[in-house]
Amino acid sequence: MKSFANVNARDVKDAVNKLREPNAVVVGGGSDLLGMVKDHLVQPDVLVNLKTIRGLDQIAAKGPEIHIGGQITLDTLSHNSMIRGDYTVLAEAAESVATPQIRNAGTLAGNVCQRPWCWYYRNNFPCFKNGGSKCFSITGENQFHAIFGGGPSFIVHPSDTAPALVALDAKFRVAGPSGERTLAAADFFALPKVNAARENVLGKDEILVSVSLPKTAKGTRSTYHKVLDREAWTHAVVSAAMVLEMDQQVCKRARIVLGGVAPIPWRLQKVEAILAGQQITPELAAKAGEAAVEGANPLAKNRYKVPLTRNLVRRTLLEMVA
Amino acid sequence: MSTLNSVGHPTSRIDAVKRVTGTATYTGDLRLEGMLYARVLRSPHPHARIRRVDLSKAQSLPGVKAILTRENCDIVWGSGDTRNKRYLFNNPVRFVGDAVAAVAAIDRHTAEEATRLIEVEYEPLPFVLEPEDALKSDAPEIQPGGNLSPNNQGKREPEVYRRGNIDEGLRAADHVFEEQYSSAHINNAQLEPRVAIAQWQGGRLTVYASTQGISNCHTEIARDLGLKPEQVRVVCQFMGGGFGNKNQCHDFDLMAAMLAKQAGAPVKLEFTRKEDFIAVHGRWPTKQYYKIGVRNDGTLTAIQLRGYSGMGPYRKGAGGIGGIEIYQCAHVERAVHPVYTNKAVSANLRGPDYPQGVFGLESLIDDIAYKLQMDPVEFRLKNMTRKFLDQTPYTSIGLEDCLRRGAEAFEWKKRWNPAPGSAPGPLKRGAGMGMGSFVSSLGRSSAVIDLDSQGMYHVHVGVTDVGTAAKTTMALIAAESLGVPLERINIIWGDTDRCPYSVGESGSRTTTHTGYAVMEAAKDLKKQLAEKGMPKGTDMLTATANTNPTIPGVARYSFVAHFAEVEVDTDLGHVRVTKYVAAHDSGRVVNPLTATSQVKGGATMGIGMALHEELLYDRASGQPLTAGYYGARVMTHRDTPEIEVVWVETEEPYGPYGAKTLGEPTIIPSVAAVANAIYNAIGKRVKDLPITRDKILGVLA
Repeated sequence: MKSFANVNARDVKDAVNKLREPNAVVVGGGSDLLGMVKDHLVQPDVLVNLKTIRGLDQIAAKGPEIHIGGQITLDTLSHNSMIRGDYTVLAEAAESVATPQIRNAGTLAGNVCQRPWCWYYRNNFPCFKNGGSKCFSITGENQFHAIFGGGPSFIVHPSDTAPALVALDAKFRVAGPSGERTLAAADFFALPKVNAARENVLGKDEILVSVSLPKTAKGTRSTYHKVLDREAWTHAVVSAAMVLEMDQQVCKRARIVLGGVAPIPWRLQKVEAILAGQQITPELAAKAGEAAVEGANPLAKNRYKVPLTRNLVRRTLLEMVA
Repeated sequence: MSTLNSVGHPTSRIDAVKRVTGTATYTGDLRLEGMLYARVLRSPHPHARIRRVDLSKAQSLPGVKAILTRENCDIVWGSGDTRNKRYLFNNPVRFVGDAVAAVAAIDRHTAEEATRLIEVEYEPLPFVLEPEDALKSDAPEIQPGGNLSPNNQGKREPEVYRRGNIDEGLRAADHVFEEQYSSAHINNAQLEPRVAIAQWQGGRLTVYASTQGISNCHTEIARDLGLKPEQVRVVCQFMGGGFGNKNQCHDFDLMAAMLAKQAGAPVKLEFTRKEDFIAVHGRWPTKQYYKIGVRNDGTLTAIQLRGYSGMGPYRKGAGGIGGIEIYQCAHVERAVHPVYTNKAVSANLRGPDYPQGVFGLESLIDDIAYKLQMDPVEFRLKNMTRKFLDQTPYTSIGLEDCLRRGAEAFEWKKRWNPAPGSAPGPLKRGAGMGMGSFVSSLGRSSAVIDLDSQGMYHVHVGVTDVGTAAKTTMALIAAESLGVPLERINIIWGDTDRCPYSVGESGSRTTTHTGYAVMEAAKDLKKQLAEKGMPKGTDMLTATANTNPTIPGVARYSFVAHFAEVEVDTDLGHVRVTKYVAAHDSGRVVNPLTATSQVKGGATMGIGMALHEELLYDRASGQPLTAGYYGARVMTHRDTPEIEVVWVETEEPYGPYGAKTLGEPTIIPSVAAVANAIYNAIGKRVKDLPITRDKILGVLA
């Protein structure tokens, strides 16, 4: 592992300043970053430690919104009663990440900004993510790769909390040298056709500071269903984050976002339109499942993700109204 | 079966408190005065000739104390290959991970940085990954003479076993079934990664190893380094597992020794987890083609297997595909081709030949039973082995009881679905089983017991305890044989200066070989005690036993049958093991507590091999993609079901108190049991391991 300096940030402004040093990166829990340094995927000279910024690991209600500091650990987030109650999808997503050890160290911002777990990237192949100009999965081992939104890179976004945050219509607060900006969660993530080297719009000098969740409407229920290839410590093969605003038996409004199928959290607006104003019956859920996989473009070894996604969407909907 | 005083009683490990309180000193915990740290530079190519190695930058890095390459170190690692000369550093390099250089430096970072400063000019060579491809005429030659590894007689022929006449057997059949199966490269994945510390004092070398066998490690280090046995000491006090890939001496033991010699200081060489997956051997992947003949009444008439095992580029392991010996059948032919490939080396992993072979064989046997409308348990009861290879009587055989009592504990009749896949709804349950056997050898070992004047018995045995609780087993056997309570036994282990020869903890032999030596030493000591009385002051009574029992004309085997119930979510392709029963005939069980744990561990490994574990390769580049615990999908606690163990304690006339082998039988039928349960649940057969979601949804589509 290459040697690096660790500098503690006093506040967000200080962190942004320190990030201007040559070859500096931010570190939160470090649960993934340190492994990447060991594997020579990143070789920073300076780690800017965000955990020393006071208050950045807190959850607070501000008016109708809930503000969550980016440095909150996944474990704390998943056990917070406010989150468990009103934003179940986020608590369940955080709880589904990796292992207890990783959830004790890993942060919300780190999970959202996590680099892909494509085995070509992680094994130092000279792919788009490693500064190259090729996606090795296209003709290679692509059983876990994208069926939507792929090209030129076919990675899938690895985060569990990201689909939940998009489904909750969260806002992301980003700080950079020219100050702060706020953007919708859905606008934070970027397809490879926009930038094949990265997964989001975060500039090199920018930090994801916090996220805020809008007040949930009455009758809202939400859930996160994750399909894993063993019972713990894998990323989602496919996952579904669903937020339904119910009025008795009728679904007034739905937000449905998939993980594990695309290079970004994959929102299913067409499915949401099918569900809006309807009673979720087995027939409608089946129709939603079919619509969920419309336009899927599988590679040679990930065709199974199509029936898997269709069934997961149908079943999760039915379980939510059962 | 008679009741004994110590043997047969559930007993906690004698070192349990140390292990769980962090006070046990594992090899990696040791720090010697002035010790250096070493790292290995490995080939990034699956096959390449090394044109040039430039060490100048690495040598000038401050803190670098020694560098080994083929230029200055041409030591042959004797047990690294049983057919070819395998050097510590090979040219050409033949797999991604083949060692190119080793560096010792003042700390880990410096050593690692130095490996990155070594400039190597490679000429990439064509490579081949799959054994059948490697046998094609246009395949690149990995070892001189061709890619079919020579057999025991040195001939380029498959390893063949025959009895009867296979054509006659197939002609006598009412039905002939033909099918093919494959299994993947699996890693041993033990918790403790490889580590060795070497220290020279004068002309004498001490290696603190993480080894399954201090004795064979000792002998082989001396042989490979050209030293006299008395110039070498091997120490392993606490051991964090190996499952077959830490037996004997390893290249890293020798590298540490040579670096320490060059640097003039002790050297600790550690592997990363990734190195532990690619640079150390795992289980050989196989392709298996079966042809089985059967009569209408369910009698087997012929079993034919043509198999291919991918050995990696060095013949470290046997490459066998076992299992056929569990059936009685007049006509058998097995031809297995161990083939060189440019993947990671494969050799022993718990029951080396068996889980993959039994998976293929028991999958087809299962299909045959369904076709003949026979209950799979009944089919096996009808055709199971009665004599070893239909010829040699067994010393004891509890296979029928394993099948009957296992089926009863599992509630087979209730759980098994006579019409596979017919259950309504997306969640389908099914039951499957498989059976196996494993040689329970007797053989050479030694033990020394000293009795002091305080009445303590100091039992010197060359075990390291790879996780089997061998120290405790030896203590129980000593206490029983000496007729004293366990508290009076002091086990001295894991140091070739203090312990006599012991068989390596492989082949499930420690209890039967070394346990027997302990019994014999105890017998001698009791005799001496009766003659001479208790020793006084600092005197000791010493008894030594060097035993090598043989039992001609009979076969000594352990037997096993496993039963698994799975629930398959056919919407999502997800498999969960919901019930598991393991029935074992290992003769008398010396320590039911740790033996039960061992069965659970073996079955768990088998479930992982059945469902998700694999070292997957990229075909275009020959690079491994899934090295490590995350990528290889090794079992977690949450994947592990409740496993119920049924002991079938046969009256076995040989071995220590009638104990037979246990460690390896525990994994043998587990893969087959899970695979057969999946078939029973969904009515479709997946023939290629691991049985992952994509394959399940594929056969259901």
